[in-house]
Amino acid sequence: MRNPSSDALTPSIPGAAAAGASLFACLRSTRPPGVLLDLAREFSPRLERYGPGCVVLDVSGLGRLLGEAPAIGEAIAQAAADRAAGIRVAVAPTQTAARLLTVTHPRLVVVADPAAALAPLPLRLLHTLIDDGGNAPGDSAAGAAARARTTAARLAMFQRWGLTTLGELAALPADALSERMGQEGLLLQRLARGADAAPLVPDPGTPRFRQAIDLDWPIDALEPLSFVLARLLDPLAEALERADRGAAALHLDLRLVDRTTFGRVLQLPSAMRDPKVLRTLLLLDLESHPPPAAIDVVTLELDPAPARIVQYSLLERAMPSVETLATLTARLGALVGDSRCGSPALVDTYRPDGFEMRRFAPEARAAVTPPAAAPPAAAAPDTVGPVLRRFRPAVAVRVVVRGGRPVQVTTGRRGLPEGTVDQQAGPWRTSGAWWDGGGAAWDRDEWEIALSDGSLCRLFRDRQLDHWFLDGVFD
Amino acid sequence: MGARAEIELLLKASRLDVTLTSAAPWRQGGREVAPIGLAALDAALAGGLPRGQLSEVIGPRSAGRSTVLATALAAAAGRGEAVALIDTSDRFDPVSAEALGLDLAQLLWVRDTGDAARALKGMNLVLQAGGFGLVAFDLTDVPSPLVRRLPHPTWLRLARVIEGSQTAALLLGAEHIARSPGGVTIALDRARPCWTGAADRARLLGAVALRPRVVGGRI
Repeated sequence: MRNPSSDALTPSIPGAAAAGASLFACLRSTRPPGVLLDLAREFSPRLERYGPGCVVLDVSGLGRLLGEAPAIGEAIAQAAADRAAGIRVAVAPTQTAARLLTVTHPRLVVVADPAAALAPLPLRLLHTLIDDGGNAPGDSAAGAAARARTTAARLAMFQRWGLTTLGELAALPADALSERMGQEGLLLQRLARGADAAPLVPDPGTPRFRQAIDLDWPIDALEPLSFVLARLLDPLAEALERADRGAAALHLDLRLVDRTTFGRVLQLPSAMRDPKVLRTLLLLDLESHPPPAAIDVVTLELDPAPARIVQYSLLERAMPSVETLATLTARLGALVGDSRCGSPALVDTYRPDGFEMRRFAPEARAAVTPPAAAPPAAAAPDTVGPVLRRFRPAVAVRVVVRGGRPVQVTTGRRGLPEGTVDQQAGPWRTSGAWWDGGGAAWDRDEWEIALSDGSLCRLFRDRQLDHWFLDGVFD
Repeated sequence: MGARAEIELLLKASRLDVTLTSAAPWRQGGREVAPIGLAALDAALAGGLPRGQLSEVIGPRSAGRSTVLATALAAAAGRGEAVALIDTSDRFDPVSAEALGLDLAQLLWVRDTGDAARALKGMNLVLQAGGFGLVAFDLTDVPSPLVRRLPHPTWLRLARVIEGSQTAALLLGAEHIARSPGGVTIALDRARPCWTGAADRARLLGAVALRPRVVGGRI
């Protein structure tokens, strides 16, 4: 049996397989598709077919079993040679690079830098991606044909521009390319750089993590349902562990006594397989979104994803685990509402109070040792920038204006600041979103004032409504 | 092993060690603190807020309570810790806090709509989850009678949850609420505004000078 030789364009992908980075292998052959699929399933359950002669498999997790990327490639090439002649194998950090390299390299090729490896290849190679079946699985046949025609026209245009290699297309400025070719041009440039247009969508033939139970008696409360969920989740968690996978999403389908189906989908922040955590998350979700009738049949399916590998560090602060945070945010979401807990993130706008809520996902960082010595006891008084306590919504107030300045503020409500204005700064005019129309526009004059009751406030006059509001109190 | 040491070990295993006053962490020289990031206040607190304890910041409106809170959150987030704020009245302003250096990605912000009892449940959930460096509970705009109506054992339970952990818990209010035996009370007098510029149109509220007093706690 011949030992498959390799074209190692770059000697190795340092630590890529071991550290959990993405790594894909592509098998290409003119043999019947069953041969490629059987070969691919020997190495990974996560594989995607591209036409009859091309299969891409996710080999990210094989590092611990087979070693670095070249070793994985050698093992696959050896198995391919044992099975049939003429199967091309490429291993790369992206699916696109692996697919393109199998077209040009008859022998095993392993690359670390997709862009560098693809740069000298001819531009017409991108036609292969169209012939393979495109990058948008799930497209209708008509949609795929239209996409193929558009892509072919773009490639013809590139050739008229004098571009001959993928590297030349990759080097074009993205802004100018977008102006001339639109999103389709940018997509082709990304492919020329070896980037993936879409994540790997596992072949439906891969194992499914699914459990169902037909209940003898309908269930109309969450407490008995929790026992049923535990019975479903325990074997699923075991199956996930055997496959070295975690659940990325939970699909819960409840067939109700009124013969309708009530479905919930939980997207998890990270792949996890602790059955207690999964059950808690499902129950919390059902608490917020209860089924409208008693339940007859419970079906639970998990979307598998590569398991999370956690390396703890002595130098990093202990942070709440992903499972703990998922449970905590689910509980808080059930308590105050999903949109009212998370991390604030400022948005790029001058709009007052411009922020959005995002999922809370703190990063573990190296612990910083506090200074050994305490500062001197006679330190100067702390002077820091004022922090606003913002009223949401702003409080309407009555303001006496003299000489264009606010001199008296009356709120008429207990617990809110009011009095004569001792000191003031302003007005600072701000406006925006008038070009959008509707209620999103704002136009106001802001004042920072000190009131006789000792309060420091931000006051503004809405120029559209011609009314005064208390924006907040500096505290 | 002496009988006393044996009893202390057994109590510690059952998380009952602080029932012996002499076994309390602050009496053993093992006091861990979370610096607030304000030099004078940290000096007065001998380093910062005690970890594993419930402390409070109190004072009148515009005294700088939110400024102390935002600075403490920023300092903790800067040390790489996860921080949380249970905001009972939804008053927190992310723009001001970020201007003080708070990394907002490290902050879990729970925005209630004024229901102190519900916010208290949120605080309990966050403390039970653990792993946070600083957890603050803002009761500033909740009327004092409502705060006093919360059952007193509530605060004992909260203090018990974080006991011995690395979490510093902080209550914000207009007047004294509660603190654990090892916690501190920081009372703020009305802050002095620092205006810049002479004319109205050139003037800015640049900063506030805080006037804190540490009025309670074992420092």
